[in-house]
Amino acid sequence: MAPAPARHLLLLLPLLLAAAPAGADDLVAELQSLRARSPSGVIHLTDTSVTRFLSAPASRRPYSVLLFFDAAALHSKPDLHLPQLRTEFALLAASFHDRNPGSGDLFFADIEFAESQHSFHQFGVNSLPHVRLIRPEHSTLAGSEQMDQSHFGRLADSMAEFVESRTGLEVGPIVRPPLLSRNQIILLGILFLISIPFAIKRVIEGETLLHDRRVWMAGALFVYFFSVSGGMYGIIRHTPMFLTDRSDPDKLVFFYQGSGMQLGAEGFAVGFLYTLVGLMIAGVTHLLVKVESLQTQRFAMMAVIAIGWWAVRKVIFLDNWKTGYSIHTFWPSSWRIWNHPH
Amino acid sequence: MATAALEFLPAPLRSFRLKTKQQELLLRVSTLALIYVLAFIVRLFSVLRYESMIHEFDPYFNYRTTLFLTENGYSEFWNWFDFESWYPLGRVVGGTLFPGLMVTAALLYRFLRALSFAVHIREVCVLTAPFFAANTTLVAYAFGREIWDSGAGIVAAALIAICPGYISRSVAGSYDNEGVAIFALLLTFYLFVRAVNTGSLAWSLASAFGYFYMVSAWGGYVFIINLLPLYVLVLLVTGRYSMRLYVAYNCMYVLGMLLAMQIRFVGFQHVQSGEHMAAMGVFFLLQVFFFLDWVKYMLNDARLFKSFLRITLTCAITVGTLALVVGTASGYISPWTGRFYSLLDPTYAKDHIPIIASVSEHQPTAWSSFMFDFQILLFLFPAGLYFCFKRLSDATIFIVMYGLTSMYFAGVMVRLILVAAPAVCLISAIAASATIKNLTTLIRTKSKSPQASSGKTTGSKAAAKGAVDQSLPFQHNAAIALLLGAFYLLSRYAIHCTWVTSEAYSSPSIVLAARGHNGGRVIFDDYREAYYWLRQNTPPDAKIMSWWDYGYQITAMGNRTVIVDNNTWNNTHIATVGRAMSSYEDEAYEIMQSLDVNYVLVVFGGVTGYSSDDINKFLWMVRIGGGVFPVIKEPDYLVNGEYRVDKGAAPKMLNCLMYKLCYYRFGELTTEYGKPPGYDRVRGVEIGNKDIKLEYLEEAFTTSNWIVRIYKVKPPKNRS
Repeated sequence: MAPAPARHLLLLLPLLLAAAPAGADDLVAELQSLRARSPSGVIHLTDTSVTRFLSAPASRRPYSVLLFFDAAALHSKPDLHLPQLRTEFALLAASFHDRNPGSGDLFFADIEFAESQHSFHQFGVNSLPHVRLIRPEHSTLAGSEQMDQSHFGRLADSMAEFVESRTGLEVGPIVRPPLLSRNQIILLGILFLISIPFAIKRVIEGETLLHDRRVWMAGALFVYFFSVSGGMYGIIRHTPMFLTDRSDPDKLVFFYQGSGMQLGAEGFAVGFLYTLVGLMIAGVTHLLVKVESLQTQRFAMMAVIAIGWWAVRKVIFLDNWKTGYSIHTFWPSSWRIWNHPH
Repeated sequence: MATAALEFLPAPLRSFRLKTKQQELLLRVSTLALIYVLAFIVRLFSVLRYESMIHEFDPYFNYRTTLFLTENGYSEFWNWFDFESWYPLGRVVGGTLFPGLMVTAALLYRFLRALSFAVHIREVCVLTAPFFAANTTLVAYAFGREIWDSGAGIVAAALIAICPGYISRSVAGSYDNEGVAIFALLLTFYLFVRAVNTGSLAWSLASAFGYFYMVSAWGGYVFIINLLPLYVLVLLVTGRYSMRLYVAYNCMYVLGMLLAMQIRFVGFQHVQSGEHMAAMGVFFLLQVFFFLDWVKYMLNDARLFKSFLRITLTCAITVGTLALVVGTASGYISPWTGRFYSLLDPTYAKDHIPIIASVSEHQPTAWSSFMFDFQILLFLFPAGLYFCFKRLSDATIFIVMYGLTSMYFAGVMVRLILVAAPAVCLISAIAASATIKNLTTLIRTKSKSPQASSGKTTGSKAAAKGAVDQSLPFQHNAAIALLLGAFYLLSRYAIHCTWVTSEAYSSPSIVLAARGHNGGRVIFDDYREAYYWLRQNTPPDAKIMSWWDYGYQITAMGNRTVIVDNNTWNNTHIATVGRAMSSYEDEAYEIMQSLDVNYVLVVFGGVTGYSSDDINKFLWMVRIGGGVFPVIKEPDYLVNGEYRVDKGAAPKMLNCLMYKLCYYRFGELTTEYGKPPGYDRVRGVEIGNKDIKLEYLEEAFTTSNWIVRIYKVKPPKNRS
């Protein structure tokens, strides 16, 4: 990742620090040069540099610093998302510098737990992920402002909102590196162009996958499955597959009650039931008849009836539970005597 | 059996016997007639439960224009410049709407008048959608017969008659474009498939006219003009090109295009905009195909033809791409619109076009909505797909493609479930009809000799098992069990549909109903109260500012000028209103002065618990306003990313115009027993700012349940 080369350079830092105390302009210039040396524009801080750049009195500190607290030991914990957040943080820094080249108002920095435990203590940081904004008017380190959990939610975009609202500086649109680099795109384009004549030849000869009925059917069933299970909902709303129960973190919640919202897993479960029942109906009339053994036929028939019954009931029950509607028959009002009250 | 039943009849009737074919015909026709009536009457729940009135928002505009059309005639309507909306810009109504619905209703009205039925135009408008829904069942029958058999047609007609996904947009009173458009859509598809099957010019001509009607009725015609070329393309790729296809598509495209261009709102877009380019591309591709076919026929030499093919294909693709690139670069071909783009890349609207993302019917669909709108059809759909693939023909390929594309779009936007409904009904009908047919043949073979039955349904169980005698009793039982299961499912569907129609989809949303604490029904008629108040108590040239949702209703019922309305054609103008609503009172006053606003109307549900009120929509006003005017920033209205109205709310929130207008004097009111005064029943909190003073506005009118509140903008102070 980005900070690795920067770290070597930072070995020089103690030497630089010997020149303290420096004026406000010196500090800014120093930070700018450090930033220039880091490829992503995120400055790596240590205990000493924190004292130098951040503990200085406000008069000599006319800049804000957005500080990302990192811990290499915790990168392996999947639920903290530290590496991902760190990447997003670098993106944010890069976008900011694209928008405000050479700015001396806001610097992005990170700090690692194993090498700078003292600073973690000074800031009072005891849980990660943690991002702090230290503005000129903050007199103590612990008094600086912590970025709320909600601002990690949409990654770099929401972090940018936080920065914009607190510092008044413009971050601009987040520039994400494209999925494929330019060379890769060109290469793919060339490959595609080369393959066109071959593809045309095969299409004309009629022996592509496109001529296989089963491929089309599998595709069709997948589109159906994806749509009815609300897969698109998950993509647009970024809903998770499941939630953890608030009162009991070990328990997972797969089904969300309330018609306006759904989780990924519940949609796919229900979509699977739809597809299952549908294919069973199709199978009974088209496949089962070709089976030789009578015994198998009978058994399959019973199984289809039983599974179909169970699946349909399950889905209807889930739907009623989720939407809160209780769907019932309207009987003629003259029958009221027998069918009332609910 | 039949003779025994007939014995008590008089002699002439007894001799009147129908042949089996005639009996079948009679049964089919009467079933269809019953379905036709059913489709109509099931949509009358809304009239029974409320009254005969126009529903929701857009229908009010349609009603207003229809009224104008019947009063002033067609040429006036065509040239209508409406200065009552979008003040001070106005709106060229004739050129910015799809006139199909209004013209249809006006013609129905004329027709009824000519028959000397003294109907009011409103009743015609209210019943237009059910009438067309009933017609749709007939088209569904014909379509089902075309792609499968007449049994599937009848089942499809029955399914679509009560399918909630369709009913949601076609109950009596929902006088909207979709009401007639689904009929037109299905008709066009049916006629086109018929044209492809027969290769007859007459049918493709008919489908071109069907397309014309669709274009005149709804912007959703873009779906047709993209699905048909896609279908043609798939047929070409899978080697199903035929002369029939060539005739059908060319005639339909050329004529359909010329006709569609007669609609002013579409005009030259049909040949210029990116959304229509696929159709044109496929049109040229077909010509190339035909040309190649002809050359192949003339050349009679495989090697020569191959080299010729290579050259032609390269040339055609190069020319096509070049034309597209040059056209796009020179601006002759306009790029895709946001709405179209958001269908292909579903996350696009959320990030880029808040005005599309803000509408509740543009939200992505959760599985429960699918279940609610289709119920058991969802189980039958995959089976139907399987059946279609087992019996591939040009027609089944079409219905599969229609089903899948519309299913995908339905997943992206809730409202497009409507477009998917006919396809889902048709494909499910194939599954239901084929399964039941197989099962009944199986049961009937028991009574007859095993061999006799297997003739008709090839590939069915009966055919395969006919030879094995011992298996019959058991099979018979299993078939009966399956049949009972199928009928159970279908009856559940009927129950579900009836319930959903009556309880969920028949609410006009302009009159609200709620359950009172003693179980009785309480009706809130505040909207109309407010609009009639405007009509009676304000000067005729008064300008009303409200959020755009209520624009159509205010012009139609209040007969007053509005700043913005539901035709969201000018984003800046809407953003200006959003900005005014989210500014402090003095800043808002300047904006309102610049727009000559006399009255401000807000919708507030804090007293009744009506949750789709302006406070809940407020964040969208901020977003849309902030999209154009960066002074408005969403985080200013939030506390730690949370939207609150109580004491912990953001200071800007507590003092913006919308908050003040909604909660003015609300602090004095006790809404619920045991709760402090100023308790908001929607948000479930005590409001944070109870001491609201208005400086530049004064309360003019608040409806009986506080749902609509109207404020008068004070004139500027005298200069001294």
